[in-house]
Order: sequence, then C-alpha cells, then structure tokens
Amino acid sequence: MVTLDLASMSVRDANRRLRELGEAGEDAEILNPDARHHIGVGLVHPITVRVRGSAGYFCAGLTDGARFEIDSNVGWGVGDNIYNGTVVVGGNAGAVAGVAIRGAEIVIKGNMGSRAGQVMKAGTLLCCGNASFMAGTMMYGGRIVILGRSGEKLGEDMTGGEIYVAGGIDSLGTDAMEIDISSDEVASLQDFLDRHKIPFNGHFRKVVNAGTKLRYTTPEPTLRNQSCTQASVGGFWNEKTKEDIEVKAVTGRYRVRGYGTARAVPHFNDIAFRKEIAPDADALSKVNLAMTLGDRSGAKPLSLSMPVLIAPMSYGALSRSTKLALGIASRLSGIAENTGEGGMIPEERAEAGQLIFQCLSGRLGWNVRDMQKADAIEIYISQGAKPGLGGQLMASKVTPELAAIRGIPPGIDLRSPSRHPDVLGADDLVIKIEEFREATGYAKPISVKLGAGRVKDDIKIAFKDGFDFVELDGLQGSTGAASAEVIEHVGIPTLAAIVEAIEALDEVGAKKNEMPIVLMGGIKDGVDAAKAIALGAGAVAVGTAALIAGGCISCMRCQAGYCVTGIATQNPQHEKRYRTDVEAGNIHRFLESMRWQMAAIVHGLGKTDVRQLCRDDLVALTPEAAAITGLPFEDRS
Amino acid sequence: MGRDLIAMLDGCQHRGPDSTGFALYADGADDLYRLRFYVGEGAEAAVSIARIKEILADKGAELLAGEQVGGSFAASVRHAGDVRPFAYAMEHAAKLFSLGHRLEIVKDEGTAHEVDARYHLSAIQGTHGLGHVRLATESAVRPEAAHPFWATGFSDIAIVHNGQITNYWKWRRRLEKLGFEFRTDNDSELIAVYLAKKLSDGASLKQALTDSIEDMDGTFSFLVSTGNEIGYAKDRLAAKPMVMVETDQLVAIASEEVSLNRLFPGQALSTREPLPGTIGTWSR
Repeated sequence: MVTLDLASMSVRDANRRLRELGEAGEDAEILNPDARHHIGVGLVHPITVRVRGSAGYFCAGLTDGARFEIDSNVGWGVGDNIYNGTVVVGGNAGAVAGVAIRGAEIVIKGNMGSRAGQVMKAGTLLCCGNASFMAGTMMYGGRIVILGRSGEKLGEDMTGGEIYVAGGIDSLGTDAMEIDISSDEVASLQDFLDRHKIPFNGHFRKVVNAGTKLRYTTPEPTLRNQSCTQASVGGFWNEKTKEDIEVKAVTGRYRVRGYGTARAVPHFNDIAFRKEIAPDADALSKVNLAMTLGDRSGAKPLSLSMPVLIAPMSYGALSRSTKLALGIASRLSGIAENTGEGGMIPEERAEAGQLIFQCLSGRLGWNVRDMQKADAIEIYISQGAKPGLGGQLMASKVTPELAAIRGIPPGIDLRSPSRHPDVLGADDLVIKIEEFREATGYAKPISVKLGAGRVKDDIKIAFKDGFDFVELDGLQGSTGAASAEVIEHVGIPTLAAIVEAIEALDEVGAKKNEMPIVLMGGIKDGVDAAKAIALGAGAVAVGTAALIAGGCISCMRCQAGYCVTGIATQNPQHEKRYRTDVEAGNIHRFLESMRWQMAAIVHGLGKTDVRQLCRDDLVALTPEAAAITGLPFEDRS
Repeated sequence: MGRDLIAMLDGCQHRGPDSTGFALYADGADDLYRLRFYVGEGAEAAVSIARIKEILADKGAELLAGEQVGGSFAASVRHAGDVRPFAYAMEHAAKLFSLGHRLEIVKDEGTAHEVDARYHLSAIQGTHGLGHVRLATESAVRPEAAHPFWATGFSDIAIVHNGQITNYWKWRRRLEKLGFEFRTDNDSELIAVYLAKKLSDGASLKQALTDSIEDMDGTFSFLVSTGNEIGYAKDRLAAKPMVMVETDQLVAIASEEVSLNRLFPGQALSTREPLPGTIGTWSR
C-alpha cells in the first residue's frame, strides 16, 4: 500500500498518483485529508483507497470499480454517479450522499444529510444513523436503506426504486407510499448488512413510488397540428391559437409540444450588414473561418473548421439514426456534435469527429466512462426553449432501450429535475466543475449551457467560475418537448442575449473571446451566424436548421414521438424511413452552405478572418432591433 | 480569533474569490462606540474623514481616536442618547460598515490573506466573529457590497448569509414603513435589520431566529452575531450547506468541513450538520 500525504501534496497531484496506482494494481492510503474536496474522483480501476480522516465534497465521485474506506466524515455528494464500486464512510455524510449512483454500494455508519440518493438509478445506499430531509427524492431506481430515522418528505417525487426504513419516518413525500415488505427483500437486506458487518435486528418499513404522477392522465389528441412554420400563426386569433384552445378543452392542462417559439420577436432578420458586399465566387479560399474552442484553462480545445457547432439534442428526443446523421455530418464538415441530455451512444461517439458530452440535472446516461471518451464536457443549467425547467420526454418515446441507457424505468412521462442535485448556487458550481476537471485529468474543455434569462448575472458567474466556453440559447431555441407556455413566454430573444452577454464580459474585464459565447436559438443560416459573430459571439450552434436540412417537415409531433420522418421518434417503424447516410449528406451540404455564406460575407466586407467581423459592420433595420442591440437604425425602405 | 477566521475563510475561498469580510467582536464599554467607515484612499479619503468629523461634532459625539487602516477609517467615539438616529446620521455622512460597542466590520476586495495584509487582522484578539467570502455578480466588485452586513442602525449586530430571500421586497417595505433604513438592496442586510428589530423589541435571539424561519422565504443558511451571542438559522429546504464543530474551547460553524479542519489540521473532527428548519444560539 502506498501512502499519500495531503499535508504536503495537492488533491490534484494525489488523484493523478491514485490513477497511476490504480493502473498498476496498488492500493493507497490518504493521510491528513482534512476534509478536502474531490479525493479519488475519476478512478476507473479496482483500487482500494483508505482515507485516514474526513473527506470533503464528491469523495469517490465519478468512479467505476474502486473501493473507498473513509475513517470519518464526508461532505456533499459522496460517491457521486459511481457505476460500480464500494464506499464505506465511518462518520457522517453531508447532503446528496450517493447522488446519481448507477450501481454502487455506499455504506454510511453515521447520519446522512438532506436529499440523499437524489436521481440515483441503481445500487444500494445504506445509512446506519438518521437520514435528513427528502431522502430518495427523484430517485429512479436502486434502494436506500435507513437503519435510523428518516426526516420529512421521504421519497419525494421518486420514480422508481425502494426505500427501507427501520427507525421511523417523519413524513412521506409527494407520490410516495408505504407497502408491505416481502421475506425475500428482508433476506436480501440482511445479506447486504451481513456482508458489510452491520449488526441489525429491527424491522423495516418499505416505501415506493405511488404512481400518481408518472403519466399525464389524459393524452393530447393526436392531431396533425398547426406547424410553427406556417404563416397563419402570425395573427392574433389564428389556427394555432384555435388548436391550442381545442386541445386544452380536452386535456385541461398546458400543451406540451416541440419546436421553438411560434411568434415573431426581434431577430437577426432585423439587422443587416452596413456595406455593399462585393461578390466573389472564390471567397472560401481567401478567408479563414477555422478556430479552436475551449483552451481558456489549458485543456485540449475543440478544433472547428468554421465557427459552427451542432446544438445539443438528445438521443431520446431524436432517434438513434438522426443522432448518427448529425454525427456524420459534423465530422464531414469538421465541426463538433453534442450528446444532449440522454447519454452517449457508441455509434454516435464513433461517427462524430468531436463530441461534447452533456451533464443534466437528472444525470440521465451520465457516467465517467463516457466522460473520458468525450472531447469536451458541458454542464446544462437551462435552455432557451424552457429556462428554469428540465427536459420532458413523453412515455411513447421512453422505450426499454432508451430507458436502459438513461437508467430509468421504461414507459414513464419523463420530466427531468429542474435543477442539479448538487449545484444550488454559483459557489457549488465551482466545486462541481473542479470535479469534472479531476475526472478528466484537466484535459477536456468544460462548457456551460445557459438559457437566456438573467444573462448578465449568468455570464459573469460562468466567467468567474472558470468555464472554457458558454453555449447561450435564446428564447427562439427549440426543444423536443416543453410546455407551450414556457416556449413562448419565458426568456429573452437570442439577439438581446448576445448583446447582454458581451456587455457582461466587458464589465468583468474579460478579453475578447477569452470565454467564447456559442450563440444558439433560431440561427438559420450562415448570414445569421456572421451577424452573431459580428455582435461578439465566438461561434454559433444550429439545431432546428440542421434537423430541417436532414428531413424534418415540421409536422409538430416531436413530443408525441409520432414523427413520420423518423427523426423525433423512438418507433422503429417510423425510424426505418430515415435514411441516415442520405440525411447526413443533406445536413453536411447545409453546413457547407453556411460556410460559403460566412466566407462570402467576411471577404465581401474586405476582411480575411471571420473574427474580424464587428459591430461596425452592422445596422439595425427596426427601432426594436436598434434598442436591443444599440446598433444605428437606418430606414432602408 | 482574527487568525482563526482567516484560516477558515482561506479554506473556503473557492466559493468566493472576489471579496472577503470579517465581523470581529472585542471587549468594549457601554458609552463608547466603535465605528468603521469605508473611505477609500488619497484625497477621496480626506474628504470623507473631514465629513465624518463634522457630523460627529454636529451630533454631539466626541471623537476619542481615529485611524486610517487600508481603505477604512476606524473611529472610537463617545456618544450618549439614542443610537438609531446617530447611526443613520453617520451612515448618511459616509460609507459606514459597522457601529457598535464591540463590533467592527472589515471587508474589502481580495482574498482573506490579501485583506489581512491591508488591515492587519491576524493579530486581533476577540471573543467571537463572522467571516464571509464573496463571488460578485454585479457590475463592480465594491467593498461596500461585500459581507458581513451590519444591521444598519443597530449597535453590534452583524450577519453572514448564503442563499436568496425571495420575499425580500415584502419585508423590506414592511420594515421601511416602520422607519428603518437600508443602505443596500442586499437580502443579507434585510435579515440583519429584521432580526435587530425583533431583538430591540425584546425578543431573545432564539425567538428572533425561530421567527425568521417562518417569515423568510427562499433558501438560506445564515449566522448572526450580537455583542454577546452568536446564532444560526437554516431554511426548511436545506439547500445551503452548514456544518459545525463544538468543543469545550470553541464553537465553529462553516459552509464546509474543510474550513473547520483548518483549525484542527490532521484531526478527524466530530462534526454535525444542522437539520432543515432549525436554529441554534451560543452566548459568551
């Protein structure tokens, strides 16, 4: 056994040593831990780590196959997201113990803090003392065992899994209920306790999901809905409004739909380039569009042939074939793809040249193995289509295959949590980012996805928290499913978002593109991209535009999974219609058209590099756009 | 005590690198007040100090000693009569960080060690104190926006708070109608004034804190101190961290155990985390 002394060594260095020891098959002992954070994060080898004292936040987090023994206490999020492995804590654990575990055994000899086991998928979390408030909230599977007393709201909004309590329950949470325990379960629990040498001779009560909130009661009628792309939606009373009212008269609730906002807001159409553009068929060879993205902290950046990315869209919202087509197209165009919420599928990883792996609140499909295969890591805080809310995936799309990769029960109307279990403020976020950096050896860029709401505050926090870049999503951003109320009425337009973001960066003294903003939300072509970059964006990302290029007919059935083109569906019959190679080619050609447009504009304005585009190149065409952007308003009519 | 607070704040500086602040309590006398102003530097400071002296004289207060330390002006003052009108008058005269018989608040841009280098805090002996590290999101990282906050108008009451009070304006309007003044839009100042009002109405610190859990909406973990007591309150959602260690010698409370461990290097501590919706107090 090798001894590492944190009195004379940083956690970062100690973790690097632990990874080497893991590969070499040697165990380790940590002296003088003094409650420091991130001890042992990112280990993926069968190593035993003994911590002689207390550990801080995320001890043993994002690991697979290791064993940890901590003599005393641990901070928030012990064993975060462990795939397989064991953690034994001699003392107390802080909040969100065992958060998002996918198969671990975690034993806490003392008490544990609030929200233990939040969004866990599988494995066992044992607390020998008392559990605080909301243990098992939003858990999807696995079991929580509490030998002492449970605090209030036990199992609040749990979706799956079981909670066993021996010492009394202060109160049950919403949609949790107590049921009888079987003798097989008792035997299995006793076996677990015996294996970890925990003496016990009491009786368990069992709590499970009551099933009252897993599905919407009345489904929306399966109409051929009014498309957001139709002009008729522009008026006051129109076909879309009428349809919404008719559907609500059936369901008695908000509508859930895909796509972005259906109404007009000031956008890139409302600004223009100030100068005449001199056409040149050979512009592409005369300007530089290539860039790197994400080297602010010294990580290996993404290398983009042009300032365009594919926006984050999940396997789940989209079919596997569509994710593959996006991956192929992104590779052919030399740009980066993004997993979105639902985990990384191996074929997507293989096809995409560069892939960003997204971490959301539900930690669906999130795991250290895929983090290490990614080219960049992104933490999702919110998105333009529904700032403040988590993802929605209707039951028709939650197939057994999809549920398995996400680690959730199949066939539920999946509503992801609206906030991260372990990030409740900018100060927590700093510690979370550091965990990601430890798990990936500080080698991968870490970005944040933000829906445009309080952009100034959010961008300043992102800058101070050290993100390598930001993906900023305006009101027009689309989604696979969200309530129409938030799609239409929450957030600020993309145009306003980039202006506020650049102002915020100026105010905190950031250098140009020190933390690049990747702007998205209604970017429809290379002209929009060039305008966004002239306003200060580092790059843009396209989602809906790429889907339309790849066959989307805007049939407005994304949320229901009835997409006839095989894009926003998990129905194999529908997906069969999708020709991955053909659509990958279409998406690729569309991306190349963006490249050509950007090159033509850059060259036409007498510049040689896309980064030379600036505000002086632009004018506003409407008073509203002028007010939002501060660009001069010239009436060209 | 200054040294201990510096060590604890250094331990959690990752939560807020922009500014660091201290509320320190030393022995005092009933007819003497310590006032700590932020005056800046150079000509700006000279103007502020002249103005402070003018208003002190105007209010019949005797300036016993005055010293410029870092960007602050520390005044020792003899004053008889109501504290609130006096405190408001001084607060209108200059940026007043704290007023009390025992309390002094020192806060500025930079880390705990940087603020210590400017204000010489490590040598300070005292009975109890609060500290705070801040991540600023507003336009400028200004010293007066840093924590701890003084309960404007009340002697010796200070607060540090992590969280967000969502019924801020409701309580601010209520308190303003009763004649209380606020010098910032910060919800920490609101909690301080809210508690100070309860205390001045005769409530115990325990009672005031218990009431605050009912009255304050949102997420919060806060620590409050008076001349003789220190206490905490934690919201019912348990969204903000708080952990404590208690020995025969001291009680220490922090966001993270790593801060507590700075006082006891190499030792595994027997800590506990306050339960949701609970309060606690200690007196000296």
